[in-house]
This record gives sequence, C-alpha cells and structure tokens, in this order.
Amino acid sequence: MYISLNWIKDFVDLDGIDPNKLINQFTLSCAEVEGMEEKGKNLSGVVVGKILSVENHPNSHKLHLLKVDVGNKVLDIVCGAPNVRVGLVVPVAVEGANVCGTIISKAKVGGYDSYGMCCSASELGISADNSGLMELDDTFIIGKDIKEQLEIEDIVFEVDNKSLTNRPDMWGHYGIAREIAAITGRKLKRLPVCDISQYDNLPSCDIKVTSKSCYRYCGMKVENITKVHSPYNMQIRLFYAGMRGINLLADLTNYLMLELGQPMHAFDGAKVDKIVVRDIDKDTMFTTLDDTERLLPKGTMVIDNGDEISAIAGVMGGLDSEIETGTNSLFLESANFDGTKVRKTATSLGLRTEASARYEKMLDPNMCDLAIARFVYLLKQIDSNIKVVSKCTDVYVKKYPHIDIEITKQFIDKYVGIDIPTKQIVDILKSLEFGVNVNGDKMTVSVPSFRATKDISCRPDIVEEITRVYGYDKITPKSTLEPVEPVKQNNDIIYDYDVKYALATRYNMSEVHTYIWYDNATNNLLNIDAKSYVHIINGISKDNNDIRSSMVPSLLKVLYDNQKTYRDVGVFEIGHVAVGLDQNKNVVEEKHLGIVLGSKDNDTQSLLLKVKDAVLYLFDYVITQKISLKVADRQNEYEHPVNYYDILLNNEVVGHIGTVHPNVVKAFDKGWSISFAEINMNKIYEYDRQFAKFEKVSKFPTTTLDFNLVLENGRHFSEIESVANGLDTDLKYHFSLVDVYDNVENNTKSYTIRFLVTSHTHTLSSTEIEKFHTLVINSFAKNNISLKA
Amino acid sequence: MDIEKILQQFDVDINKATNCDELIEIRQNYLGKSGHLSQVMRMMKDIAPSERKSFGEKVNNAKDRVESLLRTKKEELEKLAIENELKNAKIVDLTVPCSENVGSLHPITIVQERIVEIFKSMGFSVEDGDEIETEYNNFESVNVPKNHPARDMQDTFYLDNGELLKTQTSAGQNKIMRKYGAPLRVIFPGRCFRNEELDASHENTFFQVEGMMIDENISISNLIYFMKTMLSNVFGKNVEVRLRPGFFPFVEPGFELDCSCPYCGGHGCNVCKHSGWIELCPCGMIHPKVLEMGGIDTDKYQGFAFGLGLSRLTMMTFDIDDIRKLNSGELKTLKQVKVK
Repeated sequence: MYISLNWIKDFVDLDGIDPNKLINQFTLSCAEVEGMEEKGKNLSGVVVGKILSVENHPNSHKLHLLKVDVGNKVLDIVCGAPNVRVGLVVPVAVEGANVCGTIISKAKVGGYDSYGMCCSASELGISADNSGLMELDDTFIIGKDIKEQLEIEDIVFEVDNKSLTNRPDMWGHYGIAREIAAITGRKLKRLPVCDISQYDNLPSCDIKVTSKSCYRYCGMKVENITKVHSPYNMQIRLFYAGMRGINLLADLTNYLMLELGQPMHAFDGAKVDKIVVRDIDKDTMFTTLDDTERLLPKGTMVIDNGDEISAIAGVMGGLDSEIETGTNSLFLESANFDGTKVRKTATSLGLRTEASARYEKMLDPNMCDLAIARFVYLLKQIDSNIKVVSKCTDVYVKKYPHIDIEITKQFIDKYVGIDIPTKQIVDILKSLEFGVNVNGDKMTVSVPSFRATKDISCRPDIVEEITRVYGYDKITPKSTLEPVEPVKQNNDIIYDYDVKYALATRYNMSEVHTYIWYDNATNNLLNIDAKSYVHIINGISKDNNDIRSSMVPSLLKVLYDNQKTYRDVGVFEIGHVAVGLDQNKNVVEEKHLGIVLGSKDNDTQSLLLKVKDAVLYLFDYVITQKISLKVADRQNEYEHPVNYYDILLNNEVVGHIGTVHPNVVKAFDKGWSISFAEINMNKIYEYDRQFAKFEKVSKFPTTTLDFNLVLENGRHFSEIESVANGLDTDLKYHFSLVDVYDNVENNTKSYTIRFLVTSHTHTLSSTEIEKFHTLVINSFAKNNISLKA
Repeated sequence: MDIEKILQQFDVDINKATNCDELIEIRQNYLGKSGHLSQVMRMMKDIAPSERKSFGEKVNNAKDRVESLLRTKKEELEKLAIENELKNAKIVDLTVPCSENVGSLHPITIVQERIVEIFKSMGFSVEDGDEIETEYNNFESVNVPKNHPARDMQDTFYLDNGELLKTQTSAGQNKIMRKYGAPLRVIFPGRCFRNEELDASHENTFFQVEGMMIDENISISNLIYFMKTMLSNVFGKNVEVRLRPGFFPFVEPGFELDCSCPYCGGHGCNVCKHSGWIELCPCGMIHPKVLEMGGIDTDKYQGFAFGLGLSRLTMMTFDIDDIRKLNSGELKTLKQVKVK
C-alpha cells in the first residue's frame, strides 16, 4: 500500500520531522516499509501557460504551431497533442525545464523553432493519462510554477501489505496517521466530517439484510450532483496511491477507501432504489464492472437492487450499476462484511480487489457511518449544489463485543524484562486511542473498536502496543536467571550427524537432499515401480504426488543425474519416508538412511562389499552393536532377486543391502554397477551408545594355525563363521579370513582361515595345540565343510 | 706375533674398510675370540712373571687403540653412508594431486550442526520432528484456526489421508510442549514444504530451525539476548539485532528479527541489499493460547519462540546464490562442501 506524506500531513503536523527518520521509525514500530519515492523531484521549470493561437503546421497534419502565454513572455511552441485549442490553459515546460529527467531546450520541430513543451499529466508524473495535454481550469495563475499550484511534490512510501495482515485499522491513511502521531508524539487531528444527523428527518432507504455475513449496511441517497471531475490534487493523491482518476463519484469512493480504509460503493441512484444483502441460493452468472462475466457459486453474498444483482458484496460492483460520468444521483453504500466470507468469495472467483483485501482483514463496523459523513463532507466541498435526499440508513446487524483487558505493571515488566514507567505506559496507550483506567498497579485497558475486531484480545497484545511505541531498541538484552541443568540429549540428531560424518569422511560419500515425493518420470525411465502409501492432492505435477516409502529410488535418480560427470558415485541421505498408514489412517513415518553406490570402474561385488563395510562400521561406531546379514526375499521388483540381504540387529530386521535389478541397470549408461543399502534409523535411535569393554590381553605366547576350507558355490561364508565362532574349547582364540580363492574348474571356493590361539593362564603345550587343531577339523567336518586336499 | 706388527696390519686393514660390515669383520679378526690380539694375550702364560705386567699393559693398550680406531672409523663410515643416501635420495613429488574422490556433507547439515552445538552449549535440548503432520499440529495448535488468513499465506501440500506436509517447524511446538512440559529449552530443526514456484530464492522444500524457551520469567529481553548470542556465534563475530513488529499467529508480540549484516558490518552490501540489516528470524513471545493448548500453565509460565531460516542462512554461509542447488543432487556443487 502506498502512503502519501502530504495526505498524512492533513492529520498530523510533521513540521521539523525528517521523513527518512520517520519512515525508519515507522518500520521499527509499526510495519515494514518496502520503499520510498520523492515525487516531483525531477520536475522543475514547468509553469502554467495559456494557448493564444493555434496554426496548422504546413507539412504535418499532426503538428500545430502555437503561441503560448507564459506570463512574462509569449513562446512559439510546436505541439503534437490532439487537444490543442485557443484559450486552453496547460502546463508548459520552458527552456531549461526538467520534465521527469528530460531537459527541455530550444529545438527545431518539423522545421520550426520550438521554445518549450506543453505537457500531458503523464509527462508531469501525476497521472497515467497521456492522451493529450493536461487541461487546467481558470483558477490557475498564468506564468506561475505549477508545483506551487498543484500538490506534485510529495513523499510516497510503500508499506508491505503482508505486514498489515493483522492490522485492519492501518489500511487507510488516517490509520497510518494515527500510528505516526503515536510514534512522533504529535497530536492526531480529528477527521473533518459532515454532521449527517441533520438528515435524520429525511426518508429512509429501503435496505434489507438477510445474509448472516453482512454485519452492517449504511446507505444514503444524494441528488443534484453537478460536478463531473474530482479536484486535481485528489487525482494526484489517488495516482500516487496506485489508482487512477475516473470520475468524481468513483474517485471519491476510492479516496475514502484509501483514507479511512473503508471500501464504499457508489451506485447510480437512478438504477438502485432498494437494497437486499443476501446469499444467492443457486449458481448465477454475473457481469462485474470490469466487463467480465463470472459464475457466482451458490451461497455468494450479493447486493441486490430488488430486481437483479448489483454487486458481489465486498468484492466488486456490477457493470450495469456502474456510476457513469455525468450521473447526477447517487446511492452510497458503506457496509461491513464478514472477512472470511469475502476472502473465500474473492479467492474462488480469482478476483482480489482493493475492497476485498480490506474486508478480509475484519474492518471495524463503526467506520461505516463515519465514512458516509466524511464522503458527504468532501462532496459538499467539491460540489456545493448537491442535495442529500435520504437519511443515513443504518442496518447494524452484528456488533463486535467491546473489549476491556485487565493488566498490571508487574505483568508488563515481567513480560518485557525492563521497567517501563506507568506514566509512559498510559501515554502510549492513549496515543493509540486506547482507554486506560489506572488503579494502583492495576490498569483496565479499553480497546478501541478499530482494534477490537480480531487484533487485540489479551494481555500480551497490550504489551506489544506499549513496547513497539516505547521502542524495541530500548530493551536491553539479558540472559536468564533460571537454573541451568544438564540436558539429556536425544539420540536421533546426534546419531544422524555421526552417521553422515562417517560416510562422508571414511567412505568418501556425498550427502544429498532429495524430495519427499518420488519423481515418477525418472522412476519410469529407470523401470522402478515404487510403492507409495500416501499422495499429495495438490502437488507440483502429477509425476510428483507420491510420497516415498524408500530412499533408494530418490538416490538412484541422483546417481542417474550425475552419471555423465563421474565414474564413481557414492551418495547418501537420511530422509523421511511413509511406510504405511496406521488404523487411524495416519501416516507411519520413519527416518531411513539410504546409500547408493555406482561405479563404472568397480564391479557389483566390490560395490556390495563396500556398502557392507560401511554399514558394519556405522553400527559399530554409532551404537557399538554387531549386525549380521542374511539372504532375504526382495521387497520390490526393482531390487535384485538374488543379491538382496536383510540387515539383522539382535535378530530384528533393520534394513537391507543389495543391488538393483538388471532392468534398472540397463537404463543407465553402459558399464555402471550399482549397489545400495537402506537402514531404518528409528531402530538405531532405540539403542543408547555403549562403551566397548576391553578384552584382557594374554601375556602368554599365541600360536597361529591356518586352515584351507572348501565350499561349493552357492554356500555362504557365514557357515564357516558360525562353526568357527562356536568351538567347544577353554582356550582363548580369534579367527580371521585371510584369503579366498575361486576354484573355477570345480565350482567351489576355498577360504584360508587363520586361528590365533592362546591361554590366559599358561603357555600352550604341543598336545593342547594338537588337540585344538583336531577340534577345528572335526567341527568343520561335522558341518559338512571339508578341508582342502 | 709382534704387537707392533699386528697394529701395523690393523692400520692397513682399517684404512681399506669401506663399510660397517667390513669393520665388524676387522673387529672379529683382531678382538674376536681367535683374533690376533686375543691370541697374543694367550701368550701371557709363556711370559716371565716379571714381564707379565708390562706385557699385559701393552696388549691392553693395543686393544684400546683398536677399539678407539674402530669406533672413529665406524662414525666416519656411517656419516659417509648417510651422505651417500641423501645424495641419492628419491625425490617425492608432493605437487602430484591426491585422490579427488572425497566425500562431502550437505551444506545444510554443516550449518545445522553448528546451530545445534551453540544451543546445546546454552542448555537447550534438540528435538527431531516428522515431515508429515496433522492439520491440528501444523495449524490449530499454533493458533491458526480454520478460515484464518494465515492459512492462505502459505500454500500447503495436502495429502489424500487428510494430513499435510508440514509448512513450518512450529508444527512441532504442541507435541514437544506436551512431551516435556515446562520449564523447557529446546530447538527443533526440520524440513518444511510450501507449494511455491521454484526460482533462485524460492524452494518448495526448505529447512528451518525452531526454538522455544519457556520458564517463569522469560521475557522479550531474554529473547533478544539469546537471538543475539546465537547469531553472533553462527557468524563467528558480534552482531547487533533489532526487532520490528511482525505478525505470526503463534506469538504475541510477534517480531521480525533483523541482524546487522555480518558481511559488511552494517555499512551496506549485496547480501543485505544495502540496508545494513538482514531479516533472518521471525520470533516472539509464545501466544498464551498456544501455551494452553500445549498444556502449559500460563499463570506461571511464559516463553519465547523463534524460527530461523536454515536454508537461507546456509546460502549466506556458503555464498550459494540459487536455493535450488540445495535439493539438486548436483554433485559438482555439493562436493565442494568439505566436512567441517
């Protein structure tokens, strides 16, 4: 919203106040200012002139040769405007003038010397009208600078509408002026209005309200309107505020809206003699004054003139009842509607107007009659011939309750953290037109109606009013005096970071962030048919509506997108997935770690082993737990039917390691191998971190024994491992795998296992070693694992 | 054999020696069990008792001389050997690059960890949250009832089961207050979603860090203190903060918190759009209705809450000019971020 400082000055004396400081203070105490412009700064040397003669240009039928009286001399000016005529009073930029950045000098136009320029309103920057010369009336003094005769110089600043969301009172200049008066300590002048009670004897208007969403409706009829145009200065203010001049009555309603924040509607008095505010009972077509036919859904609140719909209440009038230039009778509407209703209508019609934007903030119904009184005041000033022919007819259906708030000095001090003197508290509240009744430390604060529609309802609201005007910058920062106690931190955030740190530093993987929804276009490309249990209704596209249940497809997309740039990719993410719905249909959400490795240089087996290494390390490093891997059935078609393992943590499945189906691989460039892991982090968070216990180290010598064991292809090393782990002996031993050999010719693999054997109590005798040797051989034989011949 | 001759021969031998191994052999030849000097010593028994003493001295002197020369020669040869080694040392070229395949943390993770550490050090706990939330948690419980214009201000992704993708980390407030009660000091980072058109400064998926501090005497003055302390630590230098009025349904009073631009010291630069201030952190005193819905006794407790734009802060920290890079999965960009 654009605010004109000239307009504000109608209500607050700003003499001696630096506008820049004022606007900065306004930002800090009231609402955000987005920008500021000094209007008329680039305009100088433009005087008022009168066209004395007009001659056609011999070589052009557009150009005319003028003689223009500019007071101290008569200038020859070549002019191309269509509305030139003898006697016309116009703005004239004389030699040396600055017209919004263009310096005017003597020039040859069409072969003739021109000693100045007659200007349009648009060229002066005070209107969008560039159809011809600005036509001034006889009240202007010839030869005098136009800036001395029109309010062209102004400072206009733009207030961020979003920061006024909760401030219906600040949607007009008068409300802004009230704020400025409060923060500058100046007095707010009363709004000059017409005493409309003088018309109470006149007949009423026929106004009926049946819609529950209309809180108040004031109407008044005026006749014998003789003036057509609004005053120049009013048009300039409207233009600076972002609107355009139309005609006197339309301009006045707009002016009132920009001044008080109260939208008004001027109906053609000839076309409206009855008003019904109702909700329509069926879908109805209606043409709004922007000449657009719209379908109003059933339930839309409208203004009906008894025969037909005249306006969409609070949003826009109809084309048929529009005030036309030259209309001499007027039905004036000043109403209050439910903000939610207006907002919904405006949203559903896609028609957000200046009026609806204000109504949706919940305007003060007490402004309705005030706006009419102000309107009549201004109209009379402009057109003294008007005749009011009805009383201000007031249908006040719903009043907001009056709000009193009890508050104490102690509460305010405790809430703010500093001591603000009572007198200052009272002064501030009064400057904002709150009523204050002080009784010792207690205060009863009475909320003005224009703040009571939704903005102010509780004690902290009052604290805000006091502190923002007092100055937030005067509140000194202070630490608390509350006791500090050790905080038990949750595992999740800590473990997440540990996992990420380990994967990035130890395994050279890169952490990525991917969307919570699948990208089905990529999934299709990669032959991934991913499961999704919940879907976005209003997603960014139909391909991005499925909420993921696994991290792997998201990470495969990352791999796919990077395959041209790298030969080796390792990516991971801890992300949220929806793995199903509970009995209440609420999403079962889990956090999963996804890892995807891809390589053009390493084969699938080495990628799988690398993933396994990383996963084992994570469990050991983060929660000091050992896991085991077990061949399992895949859960998705895009996973590999053979190379798919469950990750078991204390016999519970907490994730999977595997590779993808060849159908997925083939969608990548030739030569890529891929492996992945996915771990349910929620299972890990359940484990508190343990300290690894030290194992006693034997001080006696250790004996090394190697065995070569053979397994047919298809059998797993885990068979050897479980035998080796379970030897029935009192001796202390460790074993490790030192070598694997692939016997291609007979479809077997041989494994070299090394045992390190010792005792805590003595040096082993050769008999004991021999006995251990036999035990190992027998144990493997019993489990059908043979020694290499 | 004559001791003099032995010593003469020794001088010849030791002068010929070129390495330490030869010295060991020479020592063996002269001082070993059957070495020349040992053999001479064994002749002692054939010497007249009166001459034994001077003979013994002679032999021992000879031994000492041999020992001493051997030691000197050894030092000399070792020194020579090191010199030779250095002369022929293999030059290792460290200007050859190492493997460039190093991992990376996401920039958000790095900045989040920093913030988490700062708040932990001030006695805050850190809470995780869901990304899919109920309407109640996301809106009602933070004082945004149905039909409230604030629901229009943000374009929410609604799900077909009636839930939604959380639009703000404030969605966690109610659950956390119910879980821990008062007093409470907590921050909760999280990912939020809004249905916005993507451009260089808008993402539909972004991060915030929410914080709450609730106790008997928490004031606006405390809020300013903690925000100033946090931001000064985040930026690694002292910054000023200022409050402006801001409207957020879950706080009253609500503030926009600006931080003096840490990049130009408040003089004006591109980051702060030449204003000297950066709008960083909506905050305020928690609205009594929000506390009540969270089961907090508002006669006894009050507190502040804030929401920090983590994605924005991350972009500033790493000088990232396009927010879309954060979710792009584009490794050329992401791999530039080294771990701490």
